[in-house]
Amino acid sequence: MSTTIEVAVGDELPLFTREGTVEHWNRFAAVNDEFAAHHWDQEVAKEEGFPAPFAMAPLQLAFFHAMLRDWMGDDGRIVSVSAKLKGPFFKGNTLTALARVTAIDAVDEETHVDLELSQTDETDRAIAIGTARVALTAN
Amino acid sequence: MADGITTTKVTPEMAAIVGVVMRESVSHPVTVSDIRKWAIAVYYPDNPPRLFWDEAYAGTTSHGGVVAPEEFNPFAWATQEPSMTDPKVAQTAFSEDELGVEPPEYTAMLLTEIRESHGPTRIRPGDVVRSTVRISDYFEREGRMGHMLYATLANEWRNQDDAWIRTTESVFARY
Repeated sequence: MSTTIEVAVGDELPLFTREGTVEHWNRFAAVNDEFAAHHWDQEVAKEEGFPAPFAMAPLQLAFFHAMLRDWMGDDGRIVSVSAKLKGPFFKGNTLTALARVTAIDAVDEETHVDLELSQTDETDRAIAIGTARVALTAN
Repeated sequence: MADGITTTKVTPEMAAIVGVVMRESVSHPVTVSDIRKWAIAVYYPDNPPRLFWDEAYAGTTSHGGVVAPEEFNPFAWATQEPSMTDPKVAQTAFSEDELGVEPPEYTAMLLTEIRESHGPTRIRPGDVVRSTVRISDYFEREGRMGHMLYATLANEWRNQDDAWIRTTESVFARY
């Protein structure tokens, strides 16, 4: 089954990167009503044993969604996404999300694509690993 | 029990509440503005896809109008049920005592894993979303911090037509 997107096992999606900034996290805090002080207050983060404030887990998961949507376009459908949180995404770090195609299956009128996911910082420290399944509309 | 655990922290009372509804919430009707602001916040500093903010463009797509990003949360800030005057319940944590069961003793709780499954139905402006939360399982293992008790919290969302939108399973570790 062909889709509007050329895809093969082993393909890597375009990288998704974001800087760890309070300007970004404050915006997410405002829409998700998520104001734990360790996401913006250096002193609180240190008291809790972290070297710096860190991003919210739901925002990290949203980065995976955004990466998948950037690749699929409006007609693609996210079937599932999972993430194991391996370490915080700290203020001042750069997060890079990666996705690699692991399987492709025809399911009814859709093409389902399985992917393995990862997020790392600029030192290659693992922030999250996971998997996803997306559905692409067949031509 | 598993992975070298010889005693369990899961009491019979805790085991008995697996699958029992712990919380239900009903959102206010979702607005285009809610969706637009969410997308702007997630995609910052880039602009989000037009599907999430441009009603004229979205009307030309296969969706026929604006839809919410899959991770959109319609329960932030305030809900119809519980109302703002009801007791607050943390959305990022939980305790068995919400069902009248004594929780285990622990010094820390961490969110370790999130698993989302999405149906074909997207959240649209005007939708009212119902959330139903249950503990779906417990498991234990020996970890770096000692005896780790894991609990999976399953949160199912359906819209006003009872169409399944998504289920989020959040795995919390206590030690």
